[in-house]
Amino acid sequence: MAGRLRDKLIELPEGSAVALRMGADQYFDSIRDILDVFAPQKDLDVLYVTSTIPSRSIINALEVLEIPMDHIWFVDCISQIMMSGTEKHAHTSHVESPTMLENIMLKVEYLVRKTKERGNVIVLDSINSLAIHNNTKILSEFLHIMVNNLRSKNAYTIVFSMEQYETDEIRNMLNLVCDETIAVGAEGGG
Amino acid sequence: MPAKEREAADERVARCVTGIDGLDNILDGGIPRGNTVLVTGSIGTGKTSLCIEFLVHGALSGENSLFISVTESTDKLLTNIIPYDFFDDKLIREGRLHFIDLSVIYERLGLDRPEFDYEEVHILIDAVVSLVREMKVSRLVVDSVTSISYRLKSEEIMREFVLKLGSILSSLECTTLLVSEIAPTGERYSTYGVEEAIADGIVVMGNLERRGDLLRTLQVVKMRGTSHSRAKYVLDLTTTGVLLVPLLKGGSIAAGGG
Repeated sequence: MAGRLRDKLIELPEGSAVALRMGADQYFDSIRDILDVFAPQKDLDVLYVTSTIPSRSIINALEVLEIPMDHIWFVDCISQIMMSGTEKHAHTSHVESPTMLENIMLKVEYLVRKTKERGNVIVLDSINSLAIHNNTKILSEFLHIMVNNLRSKNAYTIVFSMEQYETDEIRNMLNLVCDETIAVGAEGGG
Repeated sequence: MPAKEREAADERVARCVTGIDGLDNILDGGIPRGNTVLVTGSIGTGKTSLCIEFLVHGALSGENSLFISVTESTDKLLTNIIPYDFFDDKLIREGRLHFIDLSVIYERLGLDRPEFDYEEVHILIDAVVSLVREMKVSRLVVDSVTSISYRLKSEEIMREFVLKLGSILSSLECTTLLVSEIAPTGERYSTYGVEEAIADGIVVMGNLERRGDLLRTLQVVKMRGTSHSRAKYVLDLTTTGVLLVPLLKGGSIAAGGG
């Protein structure tokens, strides 16, 4: 499974926007494929927007997997709203709440500028958790503006969608904005 | 004027490129050179940071830039300045970027009365213009014009101050930002309401509360000499400078986001 996802990602042309549809059991394998295979192979800095689980949890997993953090940056939209008071990581920027979609775009823009010597892949984890906090209209607008902005910078965008939480509205939104949908684990998809 | 002719006219206007990408896009390439622009908003909205960045970019591109501080000492201002990635101390050492306290100018001119009359206002204008001429300043910020207005006790004197200062600086091709502090609920953009009528441009910076979130916003309400967006944008003050993105509208207006 994992081998096929990374192959699909490597084939993507610059500036692609991809919806990655997956089940919960494929979540960490997919992250690993992007962060440990796809991004290093393409010399990209990863800008990882998390609204699903705190960045600290993902960083801990990366440490266990011995994936270096040098070119991985987090925009964490969930830790502050949880008021968990975890220690700050040098590669993490915080957005106060997943409802502050403009601030997510601003943090991404900031990181794109800070890492301008290399290309970027932006991971949006996930559209479903953002949909918990935002209505479909504003979320569609956000996705449309952000993806097109990143596309103009030749950056890759990968949007996670957990299939068990996918609604018709989310599917339509992703179909409208993304160039391709990769179903992780499905035959030929990943 | 028909749209095509306006576009052609816009292209002919010399621009003062602010160096703030988002703002230059909003302004179709920058502020028309020589314009006097009111940068207005309540406290904590980023007015001073925006203005300093405007000056730093100017100095970096070889234009002499001057910040006249009215509200706080320049020492304190420089201590609290955002550590911009593109800032270089050399700009100050080489005399391309100047910071001056207005209190020092008042002292030198002997303007120690709490209220200024017409004569004293003209002395002040002459002093500012002399600085601009001597230093060959192309970009000027006065932060804030509101603090000066406390000494100008009538609309007429305020009108005279802004009108005369603006027209002389424009003739010198000096692009000027006048910072104005307004109450967040006010309909006006300045203390007396005359400044916005005289100024060539108005940039409004504000705080927008939406469902409990507080967003910093920027909106260009007026800018003579160029076509421009009048939409509201959300901004962030970062070490890479002011960043702007469009304010999202989908479904938020009904929730009080307008």
